[in-house]
Amino acid sequence: MSSSANEAASRASAVSSMGQTIPTDAEVGHPEGVRWGMVVDLDRCTGCQACVVACQAENNIALNEEQRVLERRAKTWIRIERYWEGEFPNAKARFIPVLCQHCGNAPCETVCPVWATYHNNEGLNVQVYNRCIGTRFCANGCPYSVRYFNFWNPEWPEPMNNQLNPDVTVRTKGIIEKCTFCIQRINRVQVTAKTEGREIRSGEVQPACAQSCPTSALVFCDLNDPESAPAQLAEAEAGRSYTLLEHFGTDPGIIYLKKVDPHAELEEDSHAPVETHA
Amino acid sequence: MQHLTALLPRVTLKQALIVGGATTPLLAGGAGVLAILLYLMAAGGTATPAPEQPIAFDHSVHAGDAAIPCEFCHRGVGSQAAATVPSVEQCMFCHSVVKTDSPQIQLLQAHWDTNTPVNWARVHRVPDHVRFVHAPHIQAGVACETCHGDVASMEEVKQVRSLAMGDCQGCHRENSASLDCATCHK
Repeated sequence: MSSSANEAASRASAVSSMGQTIPTDAEVGHPEGVRWGMVVDLDRCTGCQACVVACQAENNIALNEEQRVLERRAKTWIRIERYWEGEFPNAKARFIPVLCQHCGNAPCETVCPVWATYHNNEGLNVQVYNRCIGTRFCANGCPYSVRYFNFWNPEWPEPMNNQLNPDVTVRTKGIIEKCTFCIQRINRVQVTAKTEGREIRSGEVQPACAQSCPTSALVFCDLNDPESAPAQLAEAEAGRSYTLLEHFGTDPGIIYLKKVDPHAELEEDSHAPVETHA
Repeated sequence: MQHLTALLPRVTLKQALIVGGATTPLLAGGAGVLAILLYLMAAGGTATPAPEQPIAFDHSVHAGDAAIPCEFCHRGVGSQAAATVPSVEQCMFCHSVVKTDSPQIQLLQAHWDTNTPVNWARVHRVPDHVRFVHAPHIQAGVACETCHGDVASMEEVKQVRSLAMGDCQGCHRENSASLDCATCHK
């Protein structure tokens, strides 16, 4: 018998001697096979930052004052990365919204010494704030830099403290926070569906960023539900779909669709000499 | 011997009085804290005193003698997160005719006349990082008494269970409910 099996056996006997048994996930009755994810169509993203503002308001994220930004300690659970392509006057801005990728094989989860971050069986990378001790190993391990450390206690000047969302914890100094896929909204829909005795409808859950996106560039879905529209879109557009930093093997839950540029070839030709020159 | 006493701190009578005067209340305070802790331990650790309410509402009369179901007043309990405290209007459904001469009901009547809510003191509160939703518990057939105790016999409602994490988890385990952190923590 291997040592791990031994350990498991002794743990099981310890538990049964206490008169309790720990049920398996299947017995607990979690919705099986759900994997929450998102499809981000970069062809639709205009870089308007509506998602950033919506996220800030929904999730009680502290205000990013100028000084905080200069110190590179500003917090935005979702950020729009901007890339310039070409030289002026033919420059083009490219936008990529980057948020927690809710990786299936997350580098942040394995390094947490207190299991403050873990993967739940709905494909969410969950951060338990009251368990976090602020080692910041997870933030160092995240290749997408989407985990943010609270260097200060957040403060909201009057009357902005009155707009805090009661469904989201206000994070204190010394802990890590990150995108939760608006888990409070997922939970609310799940409870409502349960009370009404039905399944969750496809597209019923919407995080703040996806809800506020004017061009529907961000679409939230259950990646394992073949009938959901975004999953179908990702399937149909498989030619331009990719995941961020795929070579790290993190198995992200967010699928990006590459920008479609009808003039791409033309532009490339005109820019070729400039690039070699530079 | 003189060399040895030179090593000891030299304390004048005045200094001794000041130090003594300062430490005596501290020691007495420590004894007081110890006494409170001992009382709490003897009481099972969950002796939460009933908070003082603006109106001496008696649950044993309403839920006990009159046998009014909990959901009749706490109407949100089956459908939403908060069980909700009834509005003054709801109390006045009955008390516009029932026991109008009682001084406590006249307090209620004053709220009704001035159009102001009653500022009831909250008895049960879970920490801010916990999301507790009543509806799924009621749906699962958990009786109100399981967590709130025998309110029908309480004159003043007080918390009887610790409602700490282990308390919730124990029940979730027994009933095969979700043990995912994100179910309760927000």
